[in-house]
Amino acid sequence: MNVESLSERGTRARRDEEVDVVIVGAGPSGSVAALHLARAGLSVVALEQGEWPEYNDYTGARPEHELVSTKLWHPNPNVRDNPNDYPVDTSTTDINPLMFAGVGGSATLYGAQWMHFLPSDFRVRSLDGVAEDWPFSYEDLLPYQLEIEREVGVSGLAGDPAFPPRGPYPFPALPIGSVGLRGALGMERMGWHWWPGSNAIPSEKFGELNACVRRGTCLTGCPEGAKSTTDRSHWPLALKAGARLVTRARVKEVETNEQGLATGVVYVDANGRDRRQRAKVVILCANGVGTPRLLLMSGGAKSPDGLANSSGMVGKRLMMHPFASILASYEDPLDSWRGPFGQQVYSLEFYETDERRGFVRGSKWNCMPSGGPVGVSGATGSKVYVAEEGRFQDFWGANLHENVARRFGHSLIWGIVGEDLPEEENQVVLSKNLVDSDGLPAPQIVYKVNENSNRLLKFNIDRCLESVRAAGAIETLVSTPVRESGWHLIGTTVMGDDPKRSVVDQWGACHDVPNLYIMDASTFPTSGATNPTATIMAVALRNTRRMIAERRNQKVA
Amino acid sequence: MSTDKTFLALADFLIPAHGDMPAFGSVCTFADAEKALDFRVDLKEGFDRGLDADPALSAEAHLEKLNKEDGGAFSAVTTIAICTYYMNPRVRELLGYPGQESVRYDSKATQIYLTDGSLGHVLARGRKYRPTPGL
Ligand SMILES: Cc1cc2nc3c(=O)[nH]c(=O)nc-3n(C[C@H](O)[C@H](O)[C@H](O)COP(=O)(O)OP(=O)(O)OC[C@H]3O[C@@H](n4cnc5c(N)ncnc54)[C@H](O)[C@@H]3O)c2cc1C
Ligand code: SF4
Repeated sequence: MNVESLSERGTRARRDEEVDVVIVGAGPSGSVAALHLARAGLSVVALEQGEWPEYNDYTGARPEHELVSTKLWHPNPNVRDNPNDYPVDTSTTDINPLMFAGVGGSATLYGAQWMHFLPSDFRVRSLDGVAEDWPFSYEDLLPYQLEIEREVGVSGLAGDPAFPPRGPYPFPALPIGSVGLRGALGMERMGWHWWPGSNAIPSEKFGELNACVRRGTCLTGCPEGAKSTTDRSHWPLALKAGARLVTRARVKEVETNEQGLATGVVYVDANGRDRRQRAKVVILCANGVGTPRLLLMSGGAKSPDGLANSSGMVGKRLMMHPFASILASYEDPLDSWRGPFGQQVYSLEFYETDERRGFVRGSKWNCMPSGGPVGVSGATGSKVYVAEEGRFQDFWGANLHENVARRFGHSLIWGIVGEDLPEEENQVVLSKNLVDSDGLPAPQIVYKVNENSNRLLKFNIDRCLESVRAAGAIETLVSTPVRESGWHLIGTTVMGDDPKRSVVDQWGACHDVPNLYIMDASTFPTSGATNPTATIMAVALRNTRRMIAERRNQKVA
Repeated sequence: MSTDKTFLALADFLIPAHGDMPAFGSVCTFADAEKALDFRVDLKEGFDRGLDADPALSAEAHLEKLNKEDGGAFSAVTTIAICTYYMNPRVRELLGYPGQESVRYDSKATQIYLTDGSLGHVLARGRKYRPTPGL
């Protein structure tokens, strides 16, 4: 069976059939749960509002790529304007949440930068006196991280002194290219940490994944089928193990009975009809925005503040990793349109807290290529490097040619991901004005970049400028905080031991509804500063294994 | 002025000849721009509005006005102009841009950072992480 023929297997359950588990969302977290539950012999139905990816639609190999991808593959659902996505009310946020609806989830557009959280990320209260410790440790999660790496097909180089010792990656690191070497040179000249990038992009053929050929369009879908997304890494195996996946199925409500136990979900199918999927256990994997949205839409008159929300914490503590980017141009050629567009090199020099810097916690930097001529011109598109109030003539005419000549093929981008501390005011609520294509309320984001993040970004930008100049940069362009940077959606149904202060326990089970689970990054107590998907999938695996082991003790309706 | 002439006048103002690089109109046609627009039907309305020009205005004054009064139209016209230009094979050749090409490499080749000592320096600088307390 190949990936292309899989979509035909998206059968729904028989009318009124009660399955063991229904999963909402077929992104990285939902895919892990589906594969492992189906392999353990449970009957599983996954409901996904998007569709199977159509690889011919990824334009990376075609001349029109830069023109098409800025709309069709834009990471902001409001720009994409695709009815399979829900829109997001962004009138009250400093940062737009970014995501994608489809089999493979938001990872369809991810950079595939593959990073574990660090030991200190699980112990921020003990080490730095902020937020809360996680109920488990780096060491508890590591075996799951390593297992997921093998499922995903990660390439990288072990031995990084910024992490505790670990075994080898499944595949050798991808070439870091001239961009990575130049990024590393700056760090070397400063005497700072850097390491060859680890990416969810196998450097050799692996299962349904082809070897990466450095086409460099990972962030707009990989036309080669080389970037690891779960439509290729997990779903072929999950379907073979008996899981069923229904696409264009938008869940509108989790239903419960008189005893407060979940009985299944109601979803709108591709024809706009309401359908019910009964299940003994419901798992939400709809991401840090979609999951609280669904809980807030559920509960009915019995729970007017939303389901599983006796703590009042559903939707609160949204973390999105405020981001800065620095484009640096050099005299010599760097072939900077070549991939992977992933991370060629990363740095954890400023990851750990040093209070002399005026903020707590830290950052992760990743060095990436800068892409094609349209993008580096800064003249159109996301306006990352264009001041809104700037004169348009600064980007056009002779300036356009000069900007492109200086940057195109000669520049790199350092992305700076800063840890975001949880604050209850930063939250997901239901919009009163905006609805999706099925008339369901859109999520509204209420979010402000906090003072700690502002200081953190400023400090890191200054350091990054030192590094790129040390490597000979002739031009630098800084963008911060980048509005279109809500790639990481974290914290909105926090896990913890205390049902008054948290939504789920350490295994993802809702305190209020013991057969309702959450397995995406909504449950994370803190955000770390690394890209979260490795940790999301590892936590989902840990929870799933526990659910399988405890299945006989599971309370069901 | 006809819409194709209006567009070419705006595009030549946005992308004039400079150094080795040709002006928009000397390598691209209005038909090329229309083909590009077919990839982005969402820009069509803005594009049409953007070409509805007052003949008394210069290209620069017209773009200035669009930028201030109709951001959607400004963005549509400029996006189509720049993307059409950089999709042009002659322009790509002059820039040395083969497009997002595929590149073969040997995944098992020894990487230079392992032999030139640079990664060795990172290792020599020692452990950076803070271990889990109490372990
Ligand atoms: C542009 C971009 C770049 C990124 N780069 C990186 C990176 O380099 N490294 C990294 O680690 N992370 C990256 N991320 C983040 C990464 O994509 C996410 O962390 C990851 O996809 C989260 O997995 P998830 O399964 O929890 O949620 P998602 O992948 O968001 O999947 C949730 C799924 O649920 C579906 N859904 C939601 N609501 C409903 C509903 N009501 N009914 C039915 N279905 C529903 C959605 O359609 C979606 O498919 C990036 C994200 C973006 C957008
Ligand atoms: S760089 Fe590799 S993973 Fe990225 S788009 Fe190209 S082939 Fe795919």
